Amino acid sequence: MSKKDRVSSTLELRGVSRHFGPVKALDGLDLVVAPGELVALLGPSGCGKTTALRIVAGLEVATSGDLLVNGERYNDVAANARDMGMVFQSYSLFPNLSVSENIEYGLRARKIGTAERSKRVAQMLELVALESKAKAFPHQLSGGQQQRVALARALAIEPRVLLLDEPLSALDAQVRGQIREEIRRIQLELGITTLFVTHDQEEAMTIADRVGVMSQGRLEQIDTPDVLYNHPATNFVASFVGVMNKISSQISDGQVEIFGKRLKATKSEKSAGQVYALIRPEAIIVKTNTSNSNAKVLTRSFLGASSNIVCQLSDGTIVQSLMTSAGSGDLHPGSTVELEVTTSEVLVTYD
Amino acid sequence: MRISSLQKWFIVGFASLLGFTLFILPVIASSIYSFQEPGDKGYTFKSYTWLLDQDGFFSSMGTSLKLAVLAGVINISLMVPTMVYLNLKGQKFKSLVDFICILPLVIPVVSLAIGAQNAMPSFLQNSQYELVFFFVIIGLPFTYRTLDTSLQAISLKTLVEASRSLGASWIRTIIRVIVPAIRGGITGALFLTFALSIGEYTITSLLHWETFPTWTVVASQQNILGAIALSVFSFVGAIALLSIIALFSKKGVRQAEAEK
Repeated sequence: MSKKDRVSSTLELRGVSRHFGPVKALDGLDLVVAPGELVALLGPSGCGKTTALRIVAGLEVATSGDLLVNGERYNDVAANARDMGMVFQSYSLFPNLSVSENIEYGLRARKIGTAERSKRVAQMLELVALESKAKAFPHQLSGGQQQRVALARALAIEPRVLLLDEPLSALDAQVRGQIREEIRRIQLELGITTLFVTHDQEEAMTIADRVGVMSQGRLEQIDTPDVLYNHPATNFVASFVGVMNKISSQISDGQVEIFGKRLKATKSEKSAGQVYALIRPEAIIVKTNTSNSNAKVLTRSFLGASSNIVCQLSDGTIVQSLMTSAGSGDLHPGSTVELEVTTSEVLVTYD
Repeated sequence: MRISSLQKWFIVGFASLLGFTLFILPVIASSIYSFQEPGDKGYTFKSYTWLLDQDGFFSSMGTSLKLAVLAGVINISLMVPTMVYLNLKGQKFKSLVDFICILPLVIPVVSLAIGAQNAMPSFLQNSQYELVFFFVIIGLPFTYRTLDTSLQAISLKTLVEASRSLGASWIRTIIRVIVPAIRGGITGALFLTFALSIGEYTITSLLHWETFPTWTVVASQQNILGAIALSVFSFVGAIALLSIIALFSKKGVRQAEAEK
């Protein structure tokens, strides 16, 4: 099974909603996942991302809206006829079946012959590098190995779409990164259309072609990780993706003054009054040896090439700055410093 | 409070002694007695051969085994899908079904037997197989709890969803995934229903059917040594049955482990 002999599918959700009584778990979701693309749905718990995934899998029924795969309406297709490979958070391997039998399960359900079955199981085991564990049982595997088997099992049926429901969140930090890389490698290798659900923004940003940030059942913004980080469309996206400083200021003539510098406020609806400017840590530099001190250093955390400096303004606001470790070596807790903004444009918020 | 090893041995010793006097000793005594020739003339199998010669020994035992197996199988086939449904989607009906399953313990057996028999179709009323339905009913409180516990011990929802998304039908999901995952619970429930059915006396007697327990009562009234032989026989039979079932479920586990 390689990229050539499979046709990737398009996944489309049109105004999909899911209401539980008065609660709108999903409120009109529009989403198109292009063939071979990996889209991550990111959001806090209860934002509807898992509900969306479960509707795609057929494990949950949409209250309204349409689900299309390659343009074909899938709303009424039963879960076991959808050809969607799904990887769950954890504990989804069949405990009484060995690794090979788990991978084989979906093929047996499709009445595929023995020879073809064993061929595909061998391919899958190779793909996830678990050939040596073919006869092992789930309880004999580590968490990371279990998720790799779950991935192999989901891919063995050559699904139209791969669905990943927080597959890494039950794993140790170290293994998590490793499996994440592996999922991405395999996904690219097979060119399979993939929907990935997570609450971990780092995970979403590193693995996905595009990230959809969700909040309260709605899609706030969907774009590449770069755009999402540098040009967040809403305040929610700005504060949910990456670290964001929130600095109080006054707006006038579409401009705010931060640390003595006037910046253009983008997407501002207010022309005057109290606002908060949203600024990334890397857009703030900390200067020592200044007569113009406006902040005090609280802590400096060494992260390797860069360092994270936490400062406090005179009004008590905490501001984070990300600088090269070389350029911030003389900063110590307690030193009075001057903060400076390096951007010329800034996103503002009113609350 | 820490228990010293001396105290531990004392407790174990005392419990063993108690068990021996109250349980093992009477069994040994009646076993010896059942082999005695009346009038102190040595040992003999006479009481046992008398037992085998009695009319109805084999036929009543055959009936009991047949009905008990049927009851166990029907009970399990009814309760496994029900419990799976209740634990997956029917949470709101769970307390209702729990209540219904408890009823056989609460309703007096007499009213159960007479009342339910009236409600049965006439072809069943005239057949000993009507007992199977009563046996299924009296097994419900036990199967409900046993199956519920084992279903709650597995991640049922995820396993079912994984199976469904891999393309399996509901039947395949139940047979290939759920049943193996709760095999212990099913064996337990099966055995409980079987044991209850094979020893059931009241309903059978009220409805005038002959099974092994009712036959035992009649037969033991004719010969005191025969009656003791019968109780020894039943006891050994029950132990043998228990061991076979324990062996079966262990064998299954060992087989699974060997495959690993």
